[in-house]
Amino acid sequence: MTLNTDMQVNRIDDYLWEIPPSEKAGMLVPARIYASPAILGAMDRGVFDQVTNVACLPGIHRFALCMPDGHWGYGFPIGGVAAFDPEDGIISPGGVGYDINCGMRLIRTDLTRSEVQPKLELLMTELFRRVPAGVGSRGFVNVNRREFREVMRKGAAWCIAKGYGWEEDLERIEERGCLDGADPAHVTDYAIERGINQLGTLGSGNHYLEVQVVSDKNIFDRETAAAMGLTGRDQVVVMVHCGSRGFGHQVASDYLKVFEKAMRRYGISVKDQQLACAPFRSPEGQEYFGAMNCAANTAFANRQVITHQIREAFAAVFDSTPHALGMHLIYDVAHNIAKVERYGDGEWLVHRKGATRAFGPGSPELPDCYRAIGQPVICGGSMETGSYLLVGTNRAMHDTFGSTMHGSGRTMSRAQAKRSVRGEQLLRDMKQQGILVKAVSMSGLAEEAGLAYKNISDVVNTVDQAGITKKVAELKPIGNIKG
Amino acid sequence: MPGTFRFLDDIAMADMAFEAEGDSLPALFDTATEALIQSLADPATVAQTWQQVVDMEEPDIDTLLFEWLNRLVYLKDAQAVVFHHVTLAVQAAPDQSAWHLHAELVGAPVDQSTQDLRSDIKGVTKHLYAVTQTGNSWKARVVLDV
Repeated sequence: MTLNTDMQVNRIDDYLWEIPPSEKAGMLVPARIYASPAILGAMDRGVFDQVTNVACLPGIHRFALCMPDGHWGYGFPIGGVAAFDPEDGIISPGGVGYDINCGMRLIRTDLTRSEVQPKLELLMTELFRRVPAGVGSRGFVNVNRREFREVMRKGAAWCIAKGYGWEEDLERIEERGCLDGADPAHVTDYAIERGINQLGTLGSGNHYLEVQVVSDKNIFDRETAAAMGLTGRDQVVVMVHCGSRGFGHQVASDYLKVFEKAMRRYGISVKDQQLACAPFRSPEGQEYFGAMNCAANTAFANRQVITHQIREAFAAVFDSTPHALGMHLIYDVAHNIAKVERYGDGEWLVHRKGATRAFGPGSPELPDCYRAIGQPVICGGSMETGSYLLVGTNRAMHDTFGSTMHGSGRTMSRAQAKRSVRGEQLLRDMKQQGILVKAVSMSGLAEEAGLAYKNISDVVNTVDQAGITKKVAELKPIGNIKG
Repeated sequence: MPGTFRFLDDIAMADMAFEAEGDSLPALFDTATEALIQSLADPATVAQTWQQVVDMEEPDIDTLLFEWLNRLVYLKDAQAVVFHHVTLAVQAAPDQSAWHLHAELVGAPVDQSTQDLRSDIKGVTKHLYAVTQTGNSWKARVVLDV
């Protein structure tokens, strides 16, 4: 097998590969990549270079990981996971990503495709109107600076208190939609000014809101699906992919500059400037952690107010109420985050960058409704091919710090995608496939064409076979909103 | 414009990158600015109803260009605007201890019904970021997070 690296990559089993510390000076632990042979062979050189760079960071525990949707990123690869000793290890914005708490949310309905299809155009128009997307869009939630700081501290709970959601939503959000330790004092005015008007907006790039269908043949585990409120029979669900928008990006940018200087003070050297970091317990590390938690909570709030708008749109179009339509939240989970979590006897600062928490059955962090089955894991595919709902496993708790993949992963640059297909043509082709798209930008639409992504089924089958998450259902798009 | 820019394919798979060149330092700043504002929206579709003046000072040229491009991204979000054109002046302090930029920005509030909006750029990154000079010719490579 030919790989895009000169390093030695040892096979552990059909879905797990390891690069030993001898392959790069400074590696403190091995690097491990979850991939089928075909996916490993297609991975770009950046994955191998970057996951081994991560393995050199101070305080790293056991190994640096990359998931099968991995590809080159800033600092960490996308799909990167690493755990650090909170006492002696570092925290790095490059291990979280610029879009802090970018994540996925899935909402169920009692509606079927046959009920939605006649009103799909109206529904997508209403969703497009209520959930702004694209360059410079502003949300419907108007807050002043004092209120925005409350959003930073309280996350989704702030929204519920304001009437943007249901009390039951909170238990179905990772960390109940609020990370402890958010400290607005460590957020710059620039970040606040970028974020204060963006609550309730999708953004652009690979972010989307999608109306999907779950058919009987696409449910792989009926009992687990039922526990999440999925019954099949062409049931309609709604998926949201977005994060902390410009606010989170500014927090990350601000602290990369702080950490570049701090590294000299603490005598830390890194293989890549975008891995700038500081000791977690240092003043700089704690300040970033406080600001990052603010951005994470704002992202939870963003997805919560978007959920409110989705419920209102469905209620208006179907002349009903969100409760009567059964619009319960299935789950909300981050895939760009750093959190202190307990594994075995110890606590570790786990960085997930384009990787999803996947806690197994019995985890005390899970709500009662999911404790027996494990945590729902939402993995978004391209807008043409569909997405998956999976569930966490105890093997993930042991092998991957309770982590798994987050999406399909790109195989083609944005410029290449735009040369391969025009947005207007893609819009028509997708309509013929039964997928109604509303997009702000035709060039942005072309950049997200399905041909630019890996086949998500191949990626999902890898984590399923590796045992770090199990497939529950495949979700097929019928409507998509893009920035 | 005494400079050119081109978007690069294979530098940042999930994001965007461009290389800007100019036959002088002001020309480099002009072309890099044009590349960024064209990434956000087609300037030909943006009205000229909003104006702002920006003055910045940084210790070196690399930092000045980096911070300036990030300032444009900040203004896009904070004021919900896109840009028609920017008039720039760049000069060194008399003792060369700092570089100063004076910019006059012209654009309009975001309007999806009239503007050809493109990518909602989230920021300029340090990945492979470089500003180089060969004789009188200047070149910058910039990766944008989308």
